[in-house]
Amino acid sequence: MVEQQAAEKDNSPARETTARWRESPLWRPFRPVAVGGGTGLTAMLFRFQSFFGLAVVFAAAVVFSPTRDGTILFLTSGNLFNVVRAVSEIGIVAVGMTFVILIGGIDLSVGAVVGLSAVGIAVLLVQNGVSVAVAVPVVLAVGAVFGLLQGLASVRFGIQAFIVTLAGLQIARGLARIWSGGQGVAISYGDGPNQAPVVFSLLGERTFGGVVPIPALFFLAVAALAVLFLRVSVFSRHLYAIGGNEKAAWLSGVPVNRVKVVIFGISGLLAALAGIIHAGQLNQGSPNDGAGYELDAIAAVVIGGTSLSGGRGSVIGTVTGALLLGVLNNILALNDIDSNIQLLIKGLVIIFAAGLQRLRPAR
Amino acid sequence: MRFRVRTAIALTVGLPLTLSAACGTTHENSGQGGQSGTHTACKGSGGHYLIGMSQANLAGEPYRQQMDDDIRAAAKGVPQFDVKFADAAADNVRQQNDVDNYLTQRIDLLIISPNEATPLTAVVKKAYDKGIPVLVLDRKVDGDSYTSFIGADNKQIGKQAGEFMADTVLPKGGKIVELKGLAGSTPAHERSDGFDEGIAGKSIQIVATADGDWLREKGQQQMDALLKAHPDIQAVYAENDEMAEGAYLAAQSVGRAGDIRFIGIDGLPIAAGGIKAVEAGRLAATFVYPTGGSEAIAAAKKILVDCQPVDKKQTLPTQLVTKDNAAAVYKANGGS
Repeated sequence: MVEQQAAEKDNSPARETTARWRESPLWRPFRPVAVGGGTGLTAMLFRFQSFFGLAVVFAAAVVFSPTRDGTILFLTSGNLFNVVRAVSEIGIVAVGMTFVILIGGIDLSVGAVVGLSAVGIAVLLVQNGVSVAVAVPVVLAVGAVFGLLQGLASVRFGIQAFIVTLAGLQIARGLARIWSGGQGVAISYGDGPNQAPVVFSLLGERTFGGVVPIPALFFLAVAALAVLFLRVSVFSRHLYAIGGNEKAAWLSGVPVNRVKVVIFGISGLLAALAGIIHAGQLNQGSPNDGAGYELDAIAAVVIGGTSLSGGRGSVIGTVTGALLLGVLNNILALNDIDSNIQLLIKGLVIIFAAGLQRLRPAR
Repeated sequence: MRFRVRTAIALTVGLPLTLSAACGTTHENSGQGGQSGTHTACKGSGGHYLIGMSQANLAGEPYRQQMDDDIRAAAKGVPQFDVKFADAAADNVRQQNDVDNYLTQRIDLLIISPNEATPLTAVVKKAYDKGIPVLVLDRKVDGDSYTSFIGADNKQIGKQAGEFMADTVLPKGGKIVELKGLAGSTPAHERSDGFDEGIAGKSIQIVATADGDWLREKGQQQMDALLKAHPDIQAVYAENDEMAEGAYLAAQSVGRAGDIRFIGIDGLPIAAGGIKAVEAGRLAATFVYPTGGSEAIAAAKKILVDCQPVDKKQTLPTQLVTKDNAAAVYKANGGS
């Protein structure tokens, strides 16, 4: 049935289909897959939905910001950097999540992998006396391998990503508890035994050039690499093809399974990076760290306009989605909105963003 | 759809204007920032003070809700104070952000009950180094970059609980079980060590211990199992009232509630708290673990309004609650 449909739609041999993709608006910046449908302003609006969302929330934040001594507190540079730093970890995780969701998958394990790698880096640096140059790649590899294994399990046994990564969440939490001995591992800095190298403390409160927080730089770099990756690699076309119609992609010669496994590997790798930053920020690796990060990351992806059914979306959208949530969190806190009410407001924003997607003109 | 497009046009045109106007304002005024960097905390009784209270977690922890309520109530008595509250929902990162946001709001004094010591140390130090007095409640931070720590001594309370168990509940000795708080948490350690000290040399035998994670349902589950394994126990020491109540329910379901006696800790002056449980006869005793809320506001007043120094460490005394004094303690601690 599906094969038939796909064949009718393409009505051309596999190679030609690939060639057509190359000429298609896949290469357009920001939204490589054609939005199609409406023209002019409407199309523009939907295409840059998350930008408008961010602009609206930002403007509202400026308007509703408390002031002191005539200064708009929200716009002080310290506060804006707080916002960016606060979203950096979730943002890095969300970039990986974007890839996974683009192929129509989901990765529920990322929060637990953040905890696992936070514990990992703390144990390696503090208890095992490993140098930063070794510990960081090891922990990144652990995250990547964990993701790859999940991808393999999903592909090999034909289990849905939701189930595999739900199991992965439990396994990663369990591993984190075992690795840490069930307790947070405090990181203190120095040259002595049971002390982490001072260079790692860069990830903490330290800022680059006295202002820009280091985690934000990592977030920026990851996002930039991901955007570049989605615009210049063959891999990216495979990604969108799988998300659009997995069967058709397979028929067109896309190595579906290999791409899927690699995508989960990337998601695990980025979660591990976020975990390392997390440990640096808190001077501690605790097995319960990162709880619920998967949901925040999915929220950022959805607000960014990426479709949960795969095939449509962008990293830039996710970055703006993460920033939107960050600005929202910040302005609600600055205005002393009750934390319970904050949850309600954030929930409504997610519903609203997802609702907008449904209204988007059909492809 | 048409409406949406029109809104969009309005936004597209309006936004840049709003933003540029707003940005202009900031740039003009940005030079005025930074007064908070100097040590001008005390402005006497004529000043007006913004106080930020950063709470570790409210959901499921009535003790912390009580702490906020105590602060709120005490602050009502100081007209110069305006207190803001934030709840980090047991999330270290969120609590860091809460404090950062307070710094943005240019608070005059920070009260914090940290979720965990190490992860919150840096941001507390940041506030302290900016010249903002910091009062740390209940849980500590590392180092000494804070103005004053206000909290009760868990070890001392545990010791008193042990002595009460040995001298009053089971003066002839006997077998008991111990329900511990969350494994790895400092109060769980201290309440356990203190209790051991309190029963040292007495003929009290702890036949089993189990982790109840401070939770009523976990205390109940653990007690279910313990009653099967050790049917001959005579009393239960639970490191908080919630677990003691859970253990009571477990004993009740097998008809043992009448002959086993339960001791808890915390003694919150709320309807669901330990003092009421003692008054109702479910618990033999509880020990009040003071929140330090009213003491924190008193210290804040001393620093900001009276311009006086405060002690680096203020240890709050506990109070034994038995059926005899339960009603009176409940009233005295502000219960309603």
